[in-house]
Amino acid sequence: MSDNQEIKSPILELKNLTVNFPVKGGLPFTPKKWIQAVSDVSLQIESGETFGIVGESGCGKSTIGNAMVGMVRPTSGSVIFKGSNLNTLSRSEFKETRRHMQMIFQDPYSSLNPRFTVYQIISEPLYIQGGATKEQMTERVVELLKLVGLSEKDLYRYPSDFSGGQRQRIGIARAIILNPDFLICDEPVSALDVSVHAQILNLLMELQDKLKITYVFISHNLAVVKNICEHMVVMYLGKVMESGTTEAIYNNPKHPYTKALISAVLDIDLEHSQKRILLKGDIPSPINPPKGCRFWQRCPYAMKGCIDHPAEMVEIEPNHFVACHLVSGFSIEDKTAGLNCPIEEEHVLKHNDEKKQSN
Amino acid sequence: MKTILKILNKIGTVLKNIFLSIWNFILKLWKHPKGKIGIIVISLLAICAIFAPLIAPYDPYDVTQRAAKGLAPSWEHLLGTTITTGQDIFSMLIYGTRVSLVIGLVTGISIAFVGAIMGILAGYIGGVVDNIIMRVVDILLVIPTLPLIIVLTNIFGKTYLMIIVIFVALGWTGLARVIRSLVLVLKNANYVKASELAGASRWHIMIKHILPGVSHLLIMSTALSCAGIMVAEAGLSFLGLGDPTAISWGKMLAEAQSGGALLFGHWWWIMAPGIGIFLAVFSFMRIGLALEEMFNPRMKQSNNMYKIFKHLNNTYLNEVFNSMNNEELLGIQVPLTEQTNLKGEN
Amino acid sequence: MSDLMLKLRNLKVIFPNEIGILKAVEGIDLDIHRGECVAVVGESGCGKSVTALAIMKLLNSPPALMRVDELQLDGEELKDYSDTKMQEIRGKQIAMIFQDAMTALNPVMTIGNQIDEVYLRHSKMTKKKAREATITVLRLVGVPEPESRANNFPHQLSGGMRQRVLIAMAFATMPKLIIADEPTTALDVTIQAQVLNVLNDMQKKHQMSLLLITHDLSVVANMADMVYVMYCGKVVEKGTVKQLFTNPHHPYTVGLLASVPKLSDTHHHFVQIPDCVPHPMFKPAGCYFHPRCTHAIDICSKEMPPLVSVEDGRQIRCWNCLNQMKGGK
Repeated sequence: MSDNQEIKSPILELKNLTVNFPVKGGLPFTPKKWIQAVSDVSLQIESGETFGIVGESGCGKSTIGNAMVGMVRPTSGSVIFKGSNLNTLSRSEFKETRRHMQMIFQDPYSSLNPRFTVYQIISEPLYIQGGATKEQMTERVVELLKLVGLSEKDLYRYPSDFSGGQRQRIGIARAIILNPDFLICDEPVSALDVSVHAQILNLLMELQDKLKITYVFISHNLAVVKNICEHMVVMYLGKVMESGTTEAIYNNPKHPYTKALISAVLDIDLEHSQKRILLKGDIPSPINPPKGCRFWQRCPYAMKGCIDHPAEMVEIEPNHFVACHLVSGFSIEDKTAGLNCPIEEEHVLKHNDEKKQSN
Repeated sequence: MKTILKILNKIGTVLKNIFLSIWNFILKLWKHPKGKIGIIVISLLAICAIFAPLIAPYDPYDVTQRAAKGLAPSWEHLLGTTITTGQDIFSMLIYGTRVSLVIGLVTGISIAFVGAIMGILAGYIGGVVDNIIMRVVDILLVIPTLPLIIVLTNIFGKTYLMIIVIFVALGWTGLARVIRSLVLVLKNANYVKASELAGASRWHIMIKHILPGVSHLLIMSTALSCAGIMVAEAGLSFLGLGDPTAISWGKMLAEAQSGGALLFGHWWWIMAPGIGIFLAVFSFMRIGLALEEMFNPRMKQSNNMYKIFKHLNNTYLNEVFNSMNNEELLGIQVPLTEQTNLKGEN
Repeated sequence: MSDLMLKLRNLKVIFPNEIGILKAVEGIDLDIHRGECVAVVGESGCGKSVTALAIMKLLNSPPALMRVDELQLDGEELKDYSDTKMQEIRGKQIAMIFQDAMTALNPVMTIGNQIDEVYLRHSKMTKKKAREATITVLRLVGVPEPESRANNFPHQLSGGMRQRVLIAMAFATMPKLIIADEPTTALDVTIQAQVLNVLNDMQKKHQMSLLLITHDLSVVANMADMVYVMYCGKVVEKGTVKQLFTNPHHPYTVGLLASVPKLSDTHHHFVQIPDCVPHPMFKPAGCYFHPRCTHAIDICSKEMPPLVSVEDGRQIRCWNCLNQMKGGK
């Protein structure tokens, strides 16, 4: 069990990560279709911080989480954990490295085996690792139970006796028993009641202070992310739209999608109600994402150039990057071609018709 | 020496665990009304099978103990004697229990074994292994059981072992398919993912997580398939494909038919093996159904609901409902102008 | 009081089981006026979904037992109606929007046929006319290209679309009351904003009454006029949205509002209500909230406080608040 030392270089780095899944089914001689879950994502996570990944369904955040712990093989690009590329490790080295990364899941009802007792659930990682006697394991489990706010008498009960919040605590205890350096929290509170959110989040913050773990917090709730994450990244359909420090992004959101997300977080502060930006249309499927900027079909400020030209990530202030043509602008030749003009309705319809024919 | 002791110790604890779980299991079944009947009948049949020489008044295999042919039921011969050979039908019934139960249980458990292993391997490992196993299943499902048995018994001789082997070889497929689909669902559960993250080997996950997850389905399916196999075996023996020297219920039916029981009106000769088969199959099906209800809590709930509702009477209900009344203090009209200090639990 | 669309008095629902009696809803009163949006807020296990089903009389008698003093829809007393009579009311005068659109829609029927069914059942229309009406209402809720979309199956639509189809089905016959049980909980944030917009528009335009059941306080803040807060089967506070959100009184409401993370928060610690919701079979004696209440006094563990009406139409169920009011008098 390693110490969580200060590591100068980032603890986890994603370099041009792309993950594509093949679409099953389909006739033998038609071209294969791919679900482009994650496309060319690069980010760095410092040790000891909380990193937020924000986006809606289909944006690839869960896939990124899975790729970070090595559950999913990247189609291209690399995942570098503590300096070593996960792809190049041998099987045993990989298993060893994996023990330093753990995950807590969204649904507390399916993340615990209903036939195992609480003791068995929490001690399982220790049992798999081997080398501890039953007494040692029991001691450690009791220690962890107290740490997460449960008691010793819960040791031999079954998950069905517990509420959602308590099950999530058991899941957290299971995740930290091996003292990991890195914990991915995949929407840990979305399935819980509102009054329990605060308890679990406070517990996670406490544990981070005590045990110095790096968190990756995946969520679609921007208010929570704002409060606990230092850096964050906003994703849409597999690509990063905006990234940087949480403060910079919330104070000065530049990407239209980020603005829409922030305004869609319905605030309960009645005095400062803001006008909600409503996006047109639905989230498209990641099977055939639009070329160019992936957001153009729903963007209220889309321009002609957004259809075919993907935007580059541009640093607009220290620690704040945006990928949007509104910010990065077009080159002079493109401007003369009229690519910076807003899109008219019939252009959108024509594009939709072309897409239908090609499908 | 020490290592031998250690190994023995370990085997001892494993066996003890197995026995304890089987005992608990039987206790649970006992509480269930359907399970009770099933257990009682099976126990009776098992006693008949194990202690057959003690229970049966005559030994049907003993040529010297033959009596007059075609006797009607009487106190010496409770179910009369056969027309063809003069054997006591009652004794034949008791000895026949052995064949049916043994074949039913052995085949059923073997199928459970093979089917579960194949299903779990195919479902969990997936990929090439899955493909191979499923193609084998597809091929085996096409082969008709009866003609195969006829051919093979002609080549290798008519023994019950042959029948068991063929049943198992062709029968594991259905179970494997069903278990594979359940495993495909279990495989994606978050707790399996958590185990993988902790570094669990495939075997650990298959034995500790997947196998217990399919155990309910397995046990229930075994009970029901034992029942079906007993009927199938009776049918085969009736057709003459079973061991000609052994005494089985199916063979008794065959002899009864060819010996002219219907002609002479010896209904007891036909009823006896019929009731035997019925009791055996009935008990296994009861156990299977009890298991299904035990494992599927929703079915049990709907059954219990009616029982619970029968017990409720109006006075009790009135009491319950009245306990929930609101006594409303008729409006204290206090204007809440100042902010009362109830906010802020920081 | 012809303005009162729904009048519910003293609704009680119990679920007997082997261990004992589960008291799901313990005597609640509900008033919904014409064109008003009333929200019932509470967490899982507080009995709000059961209330919705009880209003539509969809609770089957095993396993539930329901008693109510008054259940009036626009003056019509529904309490003693048989199931056949209720079938005329359901869908036509009261409609329900369920939470999970995927399970609320029939997967083997096209959505066009499902909405047609509503028209064919409740009004004497020909199939052709029903289809025209379907397309009109689909267009109204914002489904693009409704003529072709009507022939799609539910699995071909996205989550937001399906929810809109459910809203279309509910609004199809222009019912007097619509009950929406967590209509947007399963949706993404931006889609949620769109769907709520549609719901709000439709309700305001056609002046229909809406009973919104949710645990999401932000949805309530943006849509509701009147709010009922439920805890363990009892109403603990009632008031207008403004009153409740700016000046909540009951400690549970205070805690609930404080624990919602807001964009304007600056500190890194979340306010939490200690412990957790009691199991509905094992409710504490006295006030149900007292084990978690930081202001609990002696009487709170002995007797259930009554629901007290205060000026401005507010109602509160709390000994502490009662004492403070008496003291202030």
